[in-house]
Amino acid sequence: MSTGHGSRFDLNRYDLATYLVYLLAVAFFIFPIFWVLSMSLRPEGDVLTYPVQFIPDEITLAAYEQVYGPATTWLWNSTKIAVLEAIGILLVCVPAAYAFSRFEFRGRRHVLFGILLFQMISPVVIVIPMYSVMNTLGLFDTHFGLILLYIGLQVPFSTWLLKSYFDTIPDQLDDAAAIDGCSRLQTLWHVILPSMLPGIAVVIIFNFVFSWSEFVMAFTVLQSSDLFTISVGVFAFQGQYSTSWTLIAAVSILAILPLIVMFVALQRYFIRGLTEGAVKG
Amino acid sequence: MATETDRRWTNVAAVRSRASRWFSDIQEHPFFWILPAALFLGVFLLYPLVEAFRMSVTNMTLLDPTDYSYVWLDTYVRIFESPDFWGMTRVTLIFVTASVVLQLVGGMILAQAIDYGVNRGLHGSIFTRISVLSAWVIPGIVIGIVWKIMLIETRYGVINYIILQLGGDVVSFLSDGQMALLSTIVANTWRGTAFSMIMLYAGLQQVPDQLKDAARIDGASPWQRFRHVTLPLLKPVLFINIVLITIYTINTFDMILALTGGGPGRATEVLALYMYFEAFERFNLGTAGAIAVVMLVVNVFMTMIYIKYLLGEDEF
Repeated sequence: MSTGHGSRFDLNRYDLATYLVYLLAVAFFIFPIFWVLSMSLRPEGDVLTYPVQFIPDEITLAAYEQVYGPATTWLWNSTKIAVLEAIGILLVCVPAAYAFSRFEFRGRRHVLFGILLFQMISPVVIVIPMYSVMNTLGLFDTHFGLILLYIGLQVPFSTWLLKSYFDTIPDQLDDAAAIDGCSRLQTLWHVILPSMLPGIAVVIIFNFVFSWSEFVMAFTVLQSSDLFTISVGVFAFQGQYSTSWTLIAAVSILAILPLIVMFVALQRYFIRGLTEGAVKG
Repeated sequence: MATETDRRWTNVAAVRSRASRWFSDIQEHPFFWILPAALFLGVFLLYPLVEAFRMSVTNMTLLDPTDYSYVWLDTYVRIFESPDFWGMTRVTLIFVTASVVLQLVGGMILAQAIDYGVNRGLHGSIFTRISVLSAWVIPGIVIGIVWKIMLIETRYGVINYIILQLGGDVVSFLSDGQMALLSTIVANTWRGTAFSMIMLYAGLQQVPDQLKDAARIDGASPWQRFRHVTLPLLKPVLFINIVLITIYTINTFDMILALTGGGPGRATEVLALYMYFEAFERFNLGTAGAIAVVMLVVNVFMTMIYIKYLLGEDEF
């Protein structure tokens, strides 16, 4: 498909079909978000107007003012958990990925195979026993426990992805550093890590989004409403105010907004992680 | 006095140099590098898995989890004989099959369109891609709520309003069993299409342009080019994509919990919800454990196919 022939007004039927696909896709994927946003910006009484107003006649932030208190607590909890989880995962997985990339040892392939198997197991499958594990460890209803649990769940994915980035850095760099008298740890810190920062960014972003969105574990482990993450908070909120649609819409928008902003700003990394995480394992 | 201080200092120095030698020694053993990850994996993945197996062969209840006895395979016999289990399995199968097909077809159409659009320099290619991916970054629980708002079952609900404007009647999207299942499938397609789109788009970039050009010169129509050039070369990516989205969809929990809560009745109660309710609403930890093990077996089976395929491709 060569480019450059034909002017702007010279669209063939495949161009038109493509535009039609674009139009339908944007309508289907954006409209629900637009609609919830529009719901959140109207006075409570205007939910039941007929005909339906796509853009509200009267725009107000009243709903946001009402949900502000609990929502900021939950947003703060989610941010805190997501940041600490991402730091923890790097501390745990960078050394492991380094070992799988740089050492030859017996059973290495089998362990890697096992990790890949673990990566594919959904948290949903182990949520029931996790309830008793957290009770046994005295970590029930604590952020600390949830963060440790998230690190555990994310070890397989993060180790695999980091290992694939380590593999792209040539061994000669290590050898050169060793000749200069660097220990393995110094080599890792001063030589290897600085050259794989984009890969580390992908790992951080995916872990951040995971912790932010995760529901079933947080729902099971956290009981006090002031400890809720935003996902659990939104769910509890809509259970409590089941027909206050403007409030539910406002709290949903607050849960979505940080992720969409982050995604649009860091799109490149998202797409990298998506394809590399899936295709390379 | 001075000599004693000296001796103490030499001791400290000796200890320190021994410590640093010990430290550089352990750096040569992969074991110590892997230890922290192994601990987390053991405590938060391996142990719960073993625990799920153990629960599944007991009659444990949530009311008093310490008072139980081993009933071995009785739990499994009971769930395999219960019509509930097969009902939930049927719901799950319909949900998974329909979602996977729709996501795959939608993802393929979008990947093709965007690939074509980018090559032709059409406007809106990036915007379309961002729109589709936006749905994918939203947490599952919020997706359920978003669609609940869309599908409100009065003339004030926006989808019902549009249907009314087009001359239809108000549809019971969430209170009619079959419509509710359809609604969960649509919401899940909304969520998951982006993943297929990105994977297939990456796959399309691997198809050499020369092949498509050669086919065009030979007079192949776009459909023939797709069918006989692109599709065969896309097969590996397509296969991996199908396996992955099947695994993701089988384990769907949060989106359905928020959208229908498994209802009306049990019309949208997929296996993950069935398991959760069995544990936390009906307090049967034994049965819940057994359902978890069944789900685990399905997960592992699908993953083995995936890994086998990956291993066939290249060394790791």
